[in-house]
Amino acid sequence: MVLPLLIVVLLACAVLAGWALWFVVQDRAVVLRQLFGAAVVEALVVVQAVVAGVLMATQDHPVDGPLFWGYVATALVVLPVAAIWAFAERTKWSSVVLAVAALTVGFLVWRLWQIWGAA
Amino acid sequence: MSGTAPGTVPGGPTPDRTGRRTGSGFGRLLVTVYGILAFAAIGRSSYELATKFTEAPVAYSLSTLSAVVYVLATVALAKGGPRWRVVAWVTVGFEAVGVLAVGAASVTSPDVFGETTVWSGFGQGYGYVPLVLPFVGLWWLWRTRPRGTRDAAPTTPEPTEPTGPLGPAAPDPEVR
Repeated sequence: MVLPLLIVVLLACAVLAGWALWFVVQDRAVVLRQLFGAAVVEALVVVQAVVAGVLMATQDHPVDGPLFWGYVATALVVLPVAAIWAFAERTKWSSVVLAVAALTVGFLVWRLWQIWGAA
Repeated sequence: MSGTAPGTVPGGPTPDRTGRRTGSGFGRLLVTVYGILAFAAIGRSSYELATKFTEAPVAYSLSTLSAVVYVLATVALAKGGPRWRVVAWVTVGFEAVGVLAVGAASVTSPDVFGETTVWSGFGQGYGYVPLVLPFVGLWWLWRTRPRGTRDAAPTTPEPTEPTGPLGPAAPDPEVR
């Protein structure tokens, strides 16, 4: 993993969560544009995972592999599932769900960073 | 089970016989948090089973059991039919007992488990979410319980979604 990319991913998660929370305040449900936002966050996480994989393969970076990839898998699953689940609800709870999912992905990516540096 | 539920008038109005949907409104959030915890528990237990099961079989078996229960609870709350509601009561109740029992045991005699589990220290490692969640879940199941069978006497109006502070007639502030 690389630090600039980590910051970008965490910022993207924060922006998505903030956007969703703003909708909660306004008592609005998730809109399609927010799902595109979620897709961007998801893509950034994928990029980070690919970068980590390449670094592992080329630099022999000592990492607890199963633990790391377990977290990657969880981080990648949460947002798409939550986005579909949120979009099916047409109340403000839809936006709460998206905010929680975005914050969860941010937390998982932060844990990935810790696992990456721990070994 | 078939036919009309006991206590209801056949052909008559059966208001809210199956209760409110457990997966809608606030339930949407509840299922989300359950789902995230289910994923976390699955990830944890598969990692433990794959890499170090023999180190602490009791703790890791417990992790696997809790993962299965979280998955079941998530699905049951999301589906929310009459039968799934029973599954939800059982699994969420099991979690409430589990987190209290394992939490207490992990504090008083940590050696029993050998390693930490999802429920150790009352769910400390997961921001106490495993401690709070089952009780919120039980409250929600109670709140959305089917009505009209026992307490049908006063026809209380169905609680409607609270309108925003601006009232129902307020225009959408962001009309494009």
